[in-house]
Amino acid sequence: MAKEVLIEIEHLSKSFPGGTEVLKDISLEIHKGDIVAIIGPSGTGKSTLLRCLNYLTVPSEGKIRIGECTVDVKSHTKEEVYALRRKSSMVFQQFNLFKNKTALENVMEALTKVQKMPKAEAEEISKHLLEQVGMGDRMDFYPSKLSGGQQQRVGIARALAVNPEVILFDEPTSALDPEWVKEVLATIQEVAKEGRTMLIVTHEISFARQVANRILFMEEGKIQVDAPPEEFFSDTKQERLQQFLSFVRREEEL
Amino acid sequence: MFDVSYFFSVVPKIFLKVPVTLEIALIATFFSLILGILIAIISYYQVPILNPLCKFLVSFMRGTPIVAQLYFFYFGLAVYSVLVRDMTPISAVAFVLSVNVGAFMSESIRGALMSVEEGQKEAALSLGMTHFQVVYRIVLPQAIRVAIPPLFNDFINLIKSSSLAFMLGVPDIMGAARTEGSQSYRYFEVYGAVMLVYWVVISFFDFFRKIVEKRLKEAY
Repeated sequence: MAKEVLIEIEHLSKSFPGGTEVLKDISLEIHKGDIVAIIGPSGTGKSTLLRCLNYLTVPSEGKIRIGECTVDVKSHTKEEVYALRRKSSMVFQQFNLFKNKTALENVMEALTKVQKMPKAEAEEISKHLLEQVGMGDRMDFYPSKLSGGQQQRVGIARALAVNPEVILFDEPTSALDPEWVKEVLATIQEVAKEGRTMLIVTHEISFARQVANRILFMEEGKIQVDAPPEEFFSDTKQERLQQFLSFVRREEEL
Repeated sequence: MFDVSYFFSVVPKIFLKVPVTLEIALIATFFSLILGILIAIISYYQVPILNPLCKFLVSFMRGTPIVAQLYFFYFGLAVYSVLVRDMTPISAVAFVLSVNVGAFMSESIRGALMSVEEGQKEAALSLGMTHFQVVYRIVLPQAIRVAIPPLFNDFINLIKSSSLAFMLGVPDIMGAARTEGSQSYRYFEVYGAVMLVYWVVISFFDFFRKIVEKRLKEAY
């Protein structure tokens, strides 16, 4: 049975002022329930690809569809962008929690202000999610009083709260001290079990292998390899991929 | 020698003029805050045409002495403008101070707005919040906390700068001191009293500043 295509990216390009071409004519389909890991060297457009999906970065060209919501760069309106953003949520490298709000308020914010949910209902959902990511005893803490790992778990709860079609993880563990990486990866793994569609940009190769059912290798603004994990890691024809993998493995051993 | 009893007789006389100084300071604070917020918003959103104009105004106001601005406005522009000619000295001083301190306040406010990281705004947008919601719910509450200490500083500078009003003949603290001094010739005591009075007034506001700042620090 063919799975529903949830995300469709057509001829997506992005050049930054000054002429650097970060994404080169990318077309991609992602199925509902897919967990896609995106790996590759720094500066190859992985994060930019993710950020184009919610228009935090406005593409130079191309069409993006999530669910029934389609946005074409050439004709996009503010309303379309808002609609597109409500289809997804993002977990950031630097957590980006709202500093003037407690953990609970961070998770509730979009429920009450974007989805206009009654406060009591939003609070119930948010508390439940914070329990789920293991932050039940820190709900009234401000971000400044939380460790990096704790902040990121609140960030994951915040992204889950809006019940999105897809969660975009933008290097969720890259800014963390090594001691916190494990707990955050474990939290993401828990979320993955729920069958939610996820796109994860990461440098954690072994994590990608465990959690994803599809791995993309990006280099120089293009998707060079796109395969299920078993195939992906046994692909010896791709010289650049092998170089990258052996480089990363060496790093991980250190 | 320092005449203690004269000093203590002159302090109350000068202290009586505190309301004049405060009147100028409070009027100017009100208008400079409005101007400062306007300029800061224009600069934050990089509004075309207005932004370069505001930049020029801020640079000019910060780059010229306030005495020169006051004289240029009150004596210089008066040559050509009936409006300025008909102004009372107090209004003229309040006007110049408003523009001058407004320029400084705009920088304090702009800095506070900029201090809220891009990442938090992106997070809010990624959740589907509108630009207005982002400013109102995330940026402003954090920016106000950052802006208040430097704005207090601007306010204290404004109180001190208002002493220039005496140059246009306004009977404020300095004005009273000049009158007193020209009669008694005891400048040492008179201007000693002036500084004491200013110091007391500003310490009074400083006391509030400390309380407010402590509250802000505890917030989150």
